[in-house]
Amino acid sequence: MAHHPHLPKWKETAEKEMKGKSVDTLSWTTPEGITVKPLYTAEDLEGMESVNTLPGLAPYVRGPMATMYTGRPWTIRQYAGFSTAKESNAFFHTALASGQKGLSVAFDLATHRGYDSDHPRVVGDVGKAGVAIDSVEDMKILFNGIPLDRMSVSMTMNGAVIPILAMYIIAAEEQGVSRDKLEGTIQNDILKEYLTRNTYIYPPAPSMRIVADIIAYCSREMPKYNTISISGYHMMEAGANSVLQTAFTLADGVEYVRAALRSGMDVDTFAPRLSFFFGIGMNFFMDIAMLRAARFLWHRLMSQFNPRNPKSSMLRTHCQTSGWSLTEQDPYNNIIRTTLEAMTAALGGTQSLHTNSFDEAIGLPTDLSSRIARNTQLIIQEESEICHVIDPLGGSYYLESLTSSIVSEAQKIFDEIEKLGGMAKAIESGMPKLRIEESAARKQARVDQGLDVIVGVNKYKLANETIDFEVREVPATVRDEQISRLKEIKASRDKKAVEKALADLTSVAKNGGNLLEAALPAVRARATLGEISDAMESVFGRFVATTRCISGAYASGYSGDNNAVTALRRRTTAFLEKQGRRPRILVTKMGQDGHDRGFKVIASAYADLGFDVDISPMFQSPEEAAKMAIENDVHVVGASSLAAGHKLLIPALIEELKRIGGGEILVVAGGVIPPRDYDFLYKAGVKAVFGPGTPIPESADRTLALLEEKYLRRI
Amino acid sequence: MIQDPQHYVTGVLNRDSLMLAKTITLIESTLPAHQELARTIVDRLLPHTGRSIRVGITGVPGAGKSTFIERFGTMLTAQGHRVAVLAIDPSSSRSGGSILGDKTRMEKLAIDPNAFIRPSPSGGTLGGVGRRTRETLLVCEAAGYDVVIIETMGVGQSETTVASMVDFFLVLMIAGAGDELQGMKKGVLEVADAVVINKADGDNLVRAESAQKEYQSALNMLMPASPNWRPPVLTCSAREGKGIDAIWKTILDHRDKLTESGDLAEKRKAQDLDWMNFLLDDGLRQWFYASPHVRETLPRLRRDVEEKKTSPAAAADSLLAFLQTRNGK
Repeated sequence: MAHHPHLPKWKETAEKEMKGKSVDTLSWTTPEGITVKPLYTAEDLEGMESVNTLPGLAPYVRGPMATMYTGRPWTIRQYAGFSTAKESNAFFHTALASGQKGLSVAFDLATHRGYDSDHPRVVGDVGKAGVAIDSVEDMKILFNGIPLDRMSVSMTMNGAVIPILAMYIIAAEEQGVSRDKLEGTIQNDILKEYLTRNTYIYPPAPSMRIVADIIAYCSREMPKYNTISISGYHMMEAGANSVLQTAFTLADGVEYVRAALRSGMDVDTFAPRLSFFFGIGMNFFMDIAMLRAARFLWHRLMSQFNPRNPKSSMLRTHCQTSGWSLTEQDPYNNIIRTTLEAMTAALGGTQSLHTNSFDEAIGLPTDLSSRIARNTQLIIQEESEICHVIDPLGGSYYLESLTSSIVSEAQKIFDEIEKLGGMAKAIESGMPKLRIEESAARKQARVDQGLDVIVGVNKYKLANETIDFEVREVPATVRDEQISRLKEIKASRDKKAVEKALADLTSVAKNGGNLLEAALPAVRARATLGEISDAMESVFGRFVATTRCISGAYASGYSGDNNAVTALRRRTTAFLEKQGRRPRILVTKMGQDGHDRGFKVIASAYADLGFDVDISPMFQSPEEAAKMAIENDVHVVGASSLAAGHKLLIPALIEELKRIGGGEILVVAGGVIPPRDYDFLYKAGVKAVFGPGTPIPESADRTLALLEEKYLRRI
Repeated sequence: MIQDPQHYVTGVLNRDSLMLAKTITLIESTLPAHQELARTIVDRLLPHTGRSIRVGITGVPGAGKSTFIERFGTMLTAQGHRVAVLAIDPSSSRSGGSILGDKTRMEKLAIDPNAFIRPSPSGGTLGGVGRRTRETLLVCEAAGYDVVIIETMGVGQSETTVASMVDFFLVLMIAGAGDELQGMKKGVLEVADAVVINKADGDNLVRAESAQKEYQSALNMLMPASPNWRPPVLTCSAREGKGIDAIWKTILDHRDKLTESGDLAEKRKAQDLDWMNFLLDDGLRQWFYASPHVRETLPRLRRDVEEKKTSPAAAADSLLAFLQTRNGK
């Protein structure tokens, strides 16, 4: 089709409205590098492969099911879990009674990393960011009164995936439910752990074997169970834009398919049980297009394996609204953000959805905030009437163009990864991680400059922030409860049987065989999660991450001259002139939380502002962080906390610094810290607390002011 | 800040890592007062230095230097050694800041009570990397570290500087890094006491072994620095911990052979002399440019040269004549 006959007329009219300026100046370049024009017309759709297809049919752009929500709306699946199994179980019962359809379990970080609750490394983590599970007894309590043959259960587990899945199978078995009836999903996506979330245990090669073993076992024994949830969510949360999220997630998927094929499986025996998990951010049309593009690309990528079953190349996905987009400031705004993101996921055609609670930048969700989150989806499903039509935005000139742009941009990155030898090799090369970090640093710079608006954070700020709602806190007694139950279990079980089962598991790890199958007898004998993990670790070893950090990306995200950056650089240089060295900061992350976006963006940005920045390894204990602060003789330690461990770990760091002679080293804290804990931290000796959404120049300014006060003004 | 040098001296000799860290900060400081204090401390510690094996490590980015040092260092501490690691990281030329991330890749060594790791930014110090690293090395020896490892990024001039202060200089390579080698200073291989091909594991093993042969024949064409040592090319896998022990044996073998032949003592003597010469040059230059006469005259002379009122040679001569008049006084 040629130009729309009236297009020149429109242009003329528009430019008149703009007082002579060209309409081209209205174009916008997205963070993905896609140019968005002010107007799309039918001509933009010419020759597009992804346009005018049908739902339920290849290439599935418009949805994997033929009827989509007109038949049945998406599953409301809220991710939850905290404290003890008993507390979480009660929470599940309430949620199910209030309209939730499936369960999604969050485990605490100790569990993720394969530690029992009594391990000295996890004092700050037990029951904090999820539920603590030490043995099958905990798992049974978690699902008490929940019929596992009729409830689809999703479990976010990647590191300690063998003991957790085994415990789930045995808990069902002891409930009288055979494993072939189990429905649900295990995340089991280890590749992205090395990329962003860092809750791995073993090195990549044995971890990939675990993935393949689970796929093999479940395809044989648990036909209704999704063996993997290939996740882009964590990449988005780490700062990946939508094109990066699509490309890296699908590349992970292809890598798993190849691993399963290498282990001798037929593609159609496992590929239909692969599921996906995407993160949905605030760029409304972009992420609708992203889901459509991802389905198209997955179909294209899977065709190289010649599946006969159409389900093998059909992308089914869970979605979650972005946690990163939630703000601590003016937190009720988060309800609106989450609503928009939920609409995005629905219009993109998701199969299930988690909506975040508005208070998650401040603390753990409460009964009230969880209800609002759940109701957000119920209201969209039952009041907005959007479910009557399949892919209602299909055919939109803009959306179809965007879909096609994402397809071609993501394909380019995918091809780059293939050239590196696939995603496992690419991860080893560090390429995907650097891309994500670069994207995150640029985003932060745009936010800090106000180019990307966040209402209540960098525009329309409240003069006074008050919190007039309850904030949930996990009681410190959770760890004690877990430890006493561990003691009980260890005292009452058949010690010899446990030892034998664990030795058998170690032998399978060493000599081959299916690890999930081999873990079942150990779980039945009441071996703990830590013991089962150790039995494999003795053969596989524990993985140590390579933390790389880019410099320059933050400053380059600042367009042109920026006063804030220049002024801070001048001050760090003045500090150097008076003190003989630059202000030196150790950025550390204590506890088992592996989300390292904030910590890396800070490191990169502070270096760009003229600080010398030491970065600590992940998963530090307060003692280890203190030793590093002393050896490197830093002026200040910046402790990042996202997983509710701050009240234990940060005071412990301050104590340890004092004990070993580093009492004059200042400590500042940042991350998800509820405002009502600020006083507690100040009393413990923390000099400044930076909540989520604090612009980096502001935190750098306050940190530098503390140092100037201490070192430059006391003469 | 404590001004009494003896306080630092006692602390370092008592192996107090806090005082060791503070002393290094003084050495690295750009303030004259700090440097003077540092000089006194280093002087007093001098009798307690010289007893470590000094190992320099360089390699192209991605060669796995930090992972190698993690393995190497933890192996040594397990054998009862005390290991200090001095790592030099690049400072940004635009902001002056730096990211010091070495310890993230030395997770076990970083928390080892018998190890001390100090990353330092490359920028902003008088006398450059050479002066302060050399002094830091001495202070670490005085604090009882019997193996001191100096890690340097594999690009730029810092590696020859580091080679000039260690007993054993190890160049870490990976297979297929031929292009990167072009980017590295060719001189690096000339000062290498051993070349190690890392990442000799998995499907990379064959490539590593053929790289080993290539480097060996390249090295064979170079004139060895000592007739008693022909730099070997070894392979290892820092990730799997293979071949690390053989590298340490090579270092010990090097030390034994060169101690016996007297080369090692000669090497350290020559390094000391080189160092003195450098300090003389550096001191002269600093003293010259800091003198009031030069500071006053130089800008005018620069202008004159720019405006072609005088020739560059005549301008330099007229300023250097100032040295003679001072001398004559």
